[in-house]
Amino acid sequence: MMLGAVVASAETRQQYGGTLHVTMRAALMTLDPAELDPALPDSIGRRAVSMLMFDTLVTLDENLRIQPGLAMAWQTSAGNQRWQLQIRPGVKFHDGTALSAEVAASSLRAANPGWKVSTEGDSVVIVRDSSDPELLAELALPRNSIVKRNPNNAFSGTGPFHTADWQPGKKLALAAEENCWRGRPFVDAVEIEMGKNSYEQVTAIESGKADLIEVVPEQVHHFSHEGRRIANSKPMELIALLFTRDAATPAEKLLREALARSVDRGSIHRVLLQGTGQPAASLLPNWMSGYGFVFPIDADLPRARQAREQVRSVPSWTVGYDSSDPMARLLAERIALNAKDAGLSLQPTTAANVDIKLVRIALASPDPWVALVEIAAFTGTAPGKESETVEDLYASERALLATDRIVPLFHLPVTYAGSTNLNDWVLRPDGSWNLGDAWLGTPVIAGK
Amino acid sequence: MVFALTVSLAVAAVALLVLGVTRSASERSEDQRTTALVTQFQREFSRRADDVVRRVEAIATSNPISHMASSLNGTSADSAEYFDVAHQMAEGYQLDFLEFLDGQGKIISSAQWPAKFGYPDAGFEGLSASSGEGAFLKREELQDSKTLGLFAVRTTRVSERPVYVIGGRRLDKNFLSALDLPADMRVLLYQNRSEHFSADSLIDPSVTGSKAAATHPADKFAPLVEAVRHYNQETTCLIQWTADQADDEVFHAIPLRGAGRDRPLMGILLVGNSRRSYVELKRRIRASALLVGGGGIFLAILFSTWAAARMTRPVVQLARAAQEVAAGNWDTRVEVSGSDEVGQLADSFNRMTTELLAQKERLVQTERVAAWRELARRLAHELKNPLFPLQLTVENLVRARSQSSEQFDEIFQESSSTLLAEISNLKMIIGRFSEFSKMPRPQFQPIQVNEIVGGVMKLYEAQLQASGRAPLASQLELDNKIGTIAADSDLLHRALSNLVLNAMDAMPNGGTLTLRTRRDDGKVIIEIADTGSGMTREECERIFTPYYTNKQHGTGLGLAIVQSVVSDHGGRISVKSAPERGTTFIIELPENVAALQESPARAEAGTGTRFA
Repeated sequence: MMLGAVVASAETRQQYGGTLHVTMRAALMTLDPAELDPALPDSIGRRAVSMLMFDTLVTLDENLRIQPGLAMAWQTSAGNQRWQLQIRPGVKFHDGTALSAEVAASSLRAANPGWKVSTEGDSVVIVRDSSDPELLAELALPRNSIVKRNPNNAFSGTGPFHTADWQPGKKLALAAEENCWRGRPFVDAVEIEMGKNSYEQVTAIESGKADLIEVVPEQVHHFSHEGRRIANSKPMELIALLFTRDAATPAEKLLREALARSVDRGSIHRVLLQGTGQPAASLLPNWMSGYGFVFPIDADLPRARQAREQVRSVPSWTVGYDSSDPMARLLAERIALNAKDAGLSLQPTTAANVDIKLVRIALASPDPWVALVEIAAFTGTAPGKESETVEDLYASERALLATDRIVPLFHLPVTYAGSTNLNDWVLRPDGSWNLGDAWLGTPVIAGK
Repeated sequence: MVFALTVSLAVAAVALLVLGVTRSASERSEDQRTTALVTQFQREFSRRADDVVRRVEAIATSNPISHMASSLNGTSADSAEYFDVAHQMAEGYQLDFLEFLDGQGKIISSAQWPAKFGYPDAGFEGLSASSGEGAFLKREELQDSKTLGLFAVRTTRVSERPVYVIGGRRLDKNFLSALDLPADMRVLLYQNRSEHFSADSLIDPSVTGSKAAATHPADKFAPLVEAVRHYNQETTCLIQWTADQADDEVFHAIPLRGAGRDRPLMGILLVGNSRRSYVELKRRIRASALLVGGGGIFLAILFSTWAAARMTRPVVQLARAAQEVAAGNWDTRVEVSGSDEVGQLADSFNRMTTELLAQKERLVQTERVAAWRELARRLAHELKNPLFPLQLTVENLVRARSQSSEQFDEIFQESSSTLLAEISNLKMIIGRFSEFSKMPRPQFQPIQVNEIVGGVMKLYEAQLQASGRAPLASQLELDNKIGTIAADSDLLHRALSNLVLNAMDAMPNGGTLTLRTRRDDGKVIIEIADTGSGMTREECERIFTPYYTNKQHGTGLGLAIVQSVVSDHGGRISVKSAPERGTTFIIELPENVAALQESPARAEAGTGTRFA
């Protein structure tokens, strides 16, 4: 009883100092959140890095509710067409200059050239062409981080870390910002090694060279058995087959339908993904849209063959996958096997010019409309008009699927494993890290 | 020549014999090496097979697999977590292929095709039957190809549910490269993956790069592969890669069969043996034979030439001496060497020429005597004619002394006139002889032959129509293409005049005199033709003999003078005649252009200086 009382009342004491080592597969070529990386248009790793250095006007909490960020308050008028956000006072950029409405407006204009952004006193005013109820969710996107762009092409943010050393595609060293408006982080520095495959990352954490790594699905069990802390985001990544061009004929649409029905998502989810994530026939995950379950995910070989047999001449499609992603290769080969069962011919390849791409689409936001808009942009199609009703959302997603450009396969979370020396790190629902409260060291029980 | 041929045939026979022995030895060597290589391959194959069996057994009895089998034996068995085990264990046990199959033959985990989990393995029944047996060949289907491997099957059984472990090594370039091959030998493997020959199915560890592939196209193996597939037995074939025989290889094809009742043809082992060493040896033998043969032939030719020269030189000397004798050099002698037949022949030849020379001298003396006799006869004849009237006149004068003075005076006057006439006649005869003896050497100068000929005709035209004789017609046929030649115009005029006078004398009853000029083969031809009585063949042969004449009045020197003039000009004269058909004298004169060109200035200056 005495021991139980001590444990129950125990509190760990955070320790300052140390360098937190992180590894990731993505190799970022730019740190500008508004600038699209040609190699990585968007990725969860990129968001995570961005949010260590920059802040947005508003944020999403664990329950995906809008919370104040650099904007203390906001109000809307004209039917969600005009938005006014009041800038938090006393916030300074890493270069020591104060955050102002003008700088914030300038940053938003750079990220969104189509927006009308102005200032009114200490507020930023955004006027959209039409009603935009999801504007706050968009403002929470990392690409809308408030960045002060200095003349020497240097970026300055308001986040808990500032840049100490930047080697594009290889390494990013961040130092703790002493005067961060959210308070100084516990660790002195964060070093991020980029472009590391899963094997290198596992080796790094097991050899003590990394404190936080990405974990691929087949390694989840391994780390679970080792007792390391595993953290999963919400399923924020869509794995899908993306046709590189529109279906030109009804026969081609039939073949695409046959392919979509031939994929045995259950087996792949159970074996290759080791149960991680969810099989998906919808673009948006069920936790986001609430209606994902209505899309059938089971393979239907008879109907796939039936569709296939309606077409006299069947072309051989090439399926491109990311050569640096071992899971992608397995997925592509398995899908090719399934397609063969339906009488289709798919050839996995790493070539650039292909008929179908196996893609990982990082859902841009927990907000379903924002995520769907981004998916539509990725596929090169236009979604329906944004509204607040789930019926419109469902109709828009159905319409997007009806283009036969994309075949959803899985929704995967982002999984990270931390070393036993890393404490109080938080993985946000969108897969980004919150390392502001993370600290390094062995937990010491207060009062012990 | 016969000797050289004999040497060549002997060398060729020896070379052929050596080549035949070499070929036989090379073929035996090839057979032995091929047999050794096949044995070595089979030994290596067995060693690899044992190695594969050992590794598969180790995997089947390993803890992870036992644990997996035990785990899958449960009612809530889920093989999902084992899908990557094959890949990890294949790396650990250094196998190219490794699959785990459940009791129904479905793939639990596959190292070579990880995405194929849950699918049934093709040929599972045969594989399960091979469990516990030795290694076997199997064609493995991969994601995008088929390949040949050496496989073994073992079973891990917990309770009633077995887990089949199927592992193998790839029969690839590495496998073939590991074979310890003799020099000039190589091994290729054809994987029997399709109904027809495919170059992609050929594994050749010795050929890399497009250039090598261009010189050793895989299609060359197609007939050999098809033969093995068709006749289902080992086959040997010669493959010619290039036009160079040294690049040829003899390939021995060995069918490799898989396990099972049908023992399907999985692959064909192609054991190649280069013929380079044999061809190069053959070339060396041939070169040596050619060298020896050529040297022998050369020496034989040298010897034959020497021997022939030794034998034929006296004969050649004899032939040359005979030609000299034929040319008039009757004092020619040949060297007498030895006493053999050729030596005797040379001695006889020398005696013959000596005798001929003596006969010639005798003949010359005889002819000289005859000529003197003829001259004496002619002189006597010529002188006798005037002497007889002289005698009669003098006798008449002696008798006239007894006549009256008037008669004597009259007789004296007549006799004096006669004596003077005959004396004049004698002087004329003596003058002619004197003139012949004093024939001058021609003084060459540029002349126009046609002018000379025309001048002669013009000189005698009046006499042709003279009264007291039958009229003669004249005909002048001159070739205008005849140019200037070097000749003595006076002598030539005199010679032509003599011939014209002879022609006139030959036509006492009239006729036609024709003077004709023409060119023939660089020479100027002058023809003097009459239509007179003509001559017999014997007369023609003697007509140019000095002091010969067929006329009642003549010294016989006219044609001799003509012949002398023509000869002095470097020409020749001939006659064509037949009785009652007229006579044609033909004079051929050279142009003597060289003489004209030697002194063109003097000729053009027209100084009248004669050519030497």
